[in-house]
Amino acid sequence: MTAIDKTEIKETVRNFILSSINLSEIKDDDNLFESGIVNSLFTVQLMTFIERTFAIEVGMDDLDMENFKSLNATTAFVLKKNGG
Amino acid sequence: MVANVLRKPRLVSRTQAEARDQRLKVELQTVPDAQQALADVHKARHKEFKTFVADNVEPFAEQWDREQQLPEAILAKLAQWGYLGCSVPAEYDGQGWDVVTFGLLNEALGRGSSALTDVLTVQAMVSMTLLKWGSAEQKHQWLPPLARGEMIAAFAMTEPGTGSDLQSLATGLSAQGGHFILHGTKRWISCAQFAGVFLVFGKLEQHPVACLVPRESPGFRIEPITDLMGLRAAGLGQLHFENVKVPTANLVGKPGFALSHVAPVGLHHGRISAACSALGLLRGCFEESIAHAAKRKIGNKTVGEMGMIRSLIARMGTDLEAARLLCHGACRAEDEHSPEAFEKTFMAKYFTSRAAVRAASDAVQIRGASGCHAASPTSRFYRDAKIMEIIEGTTQIHEDILGKIFVDQAGRFGK
Repeated sequence: MTAIDKTEIKETVRNFILSSINLSEIKDDDNLFESGIVNSLFTVQLMTFIERTFAIEVGMDDLDMENFKSLNATTAFVLKKNGG
Repeated sequence: MVANVLRKPRLVSRTQAEARDQRLKVELQTVPDAQQALADVHKARHKEFKTFVADNVEPFAEQWDREQQLPEAILAKLAQWGYLGCSVPAEYDGQGWDVVTFGLLNEALGRGSSALTDVLTVQAMVSMTLLKWGSAEQKHQWLPPLARGEMIAAFAMTEPGTGSDLQSLATGLSAQGGHFILHGTKRWISCAQFAGVFLVFGKLEQHPVACLVPRESPGFRIEPITDLMGLRAAGLGQLHFENVKVPTANLVGKPGFALSHVAPVGLHHGRISAACSALGLLRGCFEESIAHAAKRKIGNKTVGEMGMIRSLIARMGTDLEAARLLCHGACRAEDEHSPEAFEKTFMAKYFTSRAAVRAASDAVQIRGASGCHAASPTSRFYRDAKIMEIIEGTTQIHEDILGKIFVDQAGRFGK
């Protein structure tokens, strides 16, 4: 994976979140869960979006809030699942 | 292609078959647009499902409702035809059908019996949860018997003190040696009276967890709940767990994720099933109403020639078409693994269950006194429809969630 891929992943996820949550911006390290930005419904919607968009599957072993707590964490998780 | 999906023998008389085929022909002509949106394979399967319901469900649904019990024979038939594992992949002995087909099956069964469809609902809730979050060992142990219909599953979430507020679960697990000890009470659990395994939600040191509990577990007692208004044959029960030993291998997902990740998968499939089941009930109200309106005479006019009856039927038929499109759209979105599938399913269940309540009330009104008697399915539809507004999330919970979803989308429009 290249640096451009990483940026594309982050911006794709950011755009999805901003299109679904009533916020004007999200910083790369904003904690999505502690800040109350997302609820449990959006959690599974975000998971589904990531699975579909990046052709990965989130399984039981991936159930770790560290993987999805922020834009940076989610980007790193997608890169890891893609062998990056 | 069509011949391949119609793989089961038909054990009905020629007269029955002719009457059924004529009715199916009328049904297909009633709503051509929605049918055209389906692929040929879906149409063929839908026809198979309707045939199954006409032969095995509709003639007996009133009796099941009256006796508050589903006979083992009908559960065996659901299993024999592969319907209890319709969404489970073939590698686990399921049919591997897509969600559109799952929706059509629920719609067809919902036309015949909401109580029987509830079995399909909870079987799918547990099976799809295991498919997503189960370990490899759990999938291989539990999915094949569930998919083959050798075992019925139940989804044990609701508690006496916990309805829609899932965060306040009181059922608890505590670690002891190499296993957990489960204690607590669950109420209003569909299929509890005959399920072989229960997916139970509780808390382990304040972390939400989900675990599989076999029916025969020592300390696990099931108390039947009877005399419900609707879904009377769905085998509801209250579950009592008194120091039940649960192997650690039976935890589904990781502690802390049961409410945020595990339950939403099951509830989502439950909502798809409930929406499509309500759609079948709505179709039943419509078909019963137009048949009555066309035949029943008051003086020298049929009921269908009266303007106020036409108004009721117009609303019902339009609601049916709208509900059909919403349900099929939700199923298609789920087949595409779209994140929009969740809100589409909320909308489908919200609209269809409310439309079913309106239609059932109007269907009874159109039939008059005969609609209030068990000789007409409309009296059962009326009672079952109200339950559809409550199961898998009440109408008010749907409004709260959908309202938030829509307001949060303001950013999409640059506002």
